[in-house]
Amino acid sequence: MSDALLKVENLTIQFGGLKAVADLNFTIEKGQLAGLIGPNGAGKTTVFNLLTGVYLPTAGNITVSGKSTVGLKPYQISKVGLTRTFQNIRLFKNLTVLENILIACHQHVSYGLWDCVSRSKKFYLQEKQNTEKAYQLLKVFGMEDKALAEASSLPYGAQRKLEIVRALATDPKMILLDEPAAGMNHSETHQLMETIAQVRKDFNLTVLLIEHDMKLVMGICEKIIVLDHGVKIAEGTASQIQNSPQVIEAYLGVAEEA
Amino acid sequence: MKAFRNPALAFLIMLLIGLVINFGFNSYLQLMTLFILINCVMAISLNLVNGYTGQFSLGHAGFMAIGAYTSAYVSTKWAIFPPSLSLFNFLLSTILSGCVAAAFGFLVGQPSLKLKGDYLAIVTLGFGEIIRSAFINLEFLGGARGYSGIPNLPTIPGIDAGRLMTYLYCSFWLLVTFVVIWRICHSSHGRAFLSIREDDVAAEAMGINSTKVKVRAFLISSFFAGVAGSLFAFVNNFITPNSFSLILSINAVIMVVLGGMGSLTGSLAAAFIVTLLPEALRSVQEVTGVDLRMVIYSLTLIIVMIVRPEGLFGKKEIPDFWRKYVRRSS
Repeated sequence: MSDALLKVENLTIQFGGLKAVADLNFTIEKGQLAGLIGPNGAGKTTVFNLLTGVYLPTAGNITVSGKSTVGLKPYQISKVGLTRTFQNIRLFKNLTVLENILIACHQHVSYGLWDCVSRSKKFYLQEKQNTEKAYQLLKVFGMEDKALAEASSLPYGAQRKLEIVRALATDPKMILLDEPAAGMNHSETHQLMETIAQVRKDFNLTVLLIEHDMKLVMGICEKIIVLDHGVKIAEGTASQIQNSPQVIEAYLGVAEEA
Repeated sequence: MKAFRNPALAFLIMLLIGLVINFGFNSYLQLMTLFILINCVMAISLNLVNGYTGQFSLGHAGFMAIGAYTSAYVSTKWAIFPPSLSLFNFLLSTILSGCVAAAFGFLVGQPSLKLKGDYLAIVTLGFGEIIRSAFINLEFLGGARGYSGIPNLPTIPGIDAGRLMTYLYCSFWLLVTFVVIWRICHSSHGRAFLSIREDDVAAEAMGINSTKVKVRAFLISSFFAGVAGSLFAFVNNFITPNSFSLILSINAVIMVVLGGMGSLTGSLAAAFIVTLLPEALRSVQEVTGVDLRMVIYSLTLIIVMIVRPEGLFGKKEIPDFWRKYVRRSS
């Protein structure tokens, strides 16, 4: 058996009487590109929020490289190597593109407050390293000329990309992309697909993405997990999913008997 | 030591200004300069919390009171250094003031920084009032009568230099405050403060421990509020609990908002304006006959907020404007 990077066991969360996610089980292997799909309100983003520590699960376990992350705060989970983007873009709007990325680098900064005040060698060295790293990341996405622009001034597609760049700056093992192609047109989506595949290869990443654009999901995901009403209804490769009766039922409804 | 060359230069410039003011101007203007310096310290330190970290604190007067009383007590009751080195007694009491205020900052910040927006404002407002009424009831600190007999800073023997020494002492601490907060803000730690202001959920997802960062900002801010209190005690030689009423906190907030949330040099400019404007308007009273000072003062503030809601400098610093100007003219 190959090594599982992310293992979710019996994951359940209940909001009052509503079971938003119920008894969810799945594993993502190292280096895999997986997709999480399902109709609106299926609980996909809730799963992301559980994985990143925004919500505390009612029951169940999440392990990242063998270590349980249940009960850890979001920033601790980020240190474990799990990072994410947001469905409704959450950039630091009034800061520059560069600053957005540098903030993501903060968890690796080891200089203290006195180093700031005395402007020590350590301070300059790490600032320089982080800035170089930020520019390198921007270069991968062809955005290095935008480094000093305010994040909110970027066009929509670039903001989505910046969210991915920012997530990458935390040096993650695994990245969770919440609808990366939302609101993008056909060619932008196509370009994004290529970038995601490229980034995965270059950074040796594991990717789990939520997406409604089936073309993107079917095109690049090696494994697809389908959720409906918080329950996993199918799991497998693109062709397996496309032919699964439960999935068709969830998306299109049951054919009425004549 | 190269890192401290610019601050040392700035101190020399402050010294020159101080010489002009303390030999050339009258006692009233000398005192006004001291209040400007103290307000600058207040505004910069509050800007770290309200502007940079985006947490609305209304308890700055409380921290200032703690600092003032600590300095008052330490400088009158303890004399660790001999009279010839009495300056060190003052330095020691100011540093202690900062530390005690920071300790209180930690005590208040740790539980209350989990609150957001208005709630935090209410808690810190309550803290300020509690501190004030505590000092009213602490008899060994003078109670409601206040604490008098706080010593003056040592003077240069034989020369009547006005308030030059007090001025230099305040300038020194203003520089310390400015350099420390400026340099922290322009570093990765400062960007962590900004990320909390911009979006704390995203900040947490990017590996920033928001509670720790907020408490840290609060701690640094209350330290320098304590320093401002200490300076206040040494300038006035007499403090009462009512010197540190809510108005003082509000004034600090006005300075931060007027200068621009997140602009340290803006805070400096605003401290200048907020201190001087009501005083400058005294001459208007001589013409009109009625006291319209507060009317004009508040009208000015309202107009500024309508015309420039982001504050005089917005989020920019003076060097940013300078750079823009240079780029445009070249």
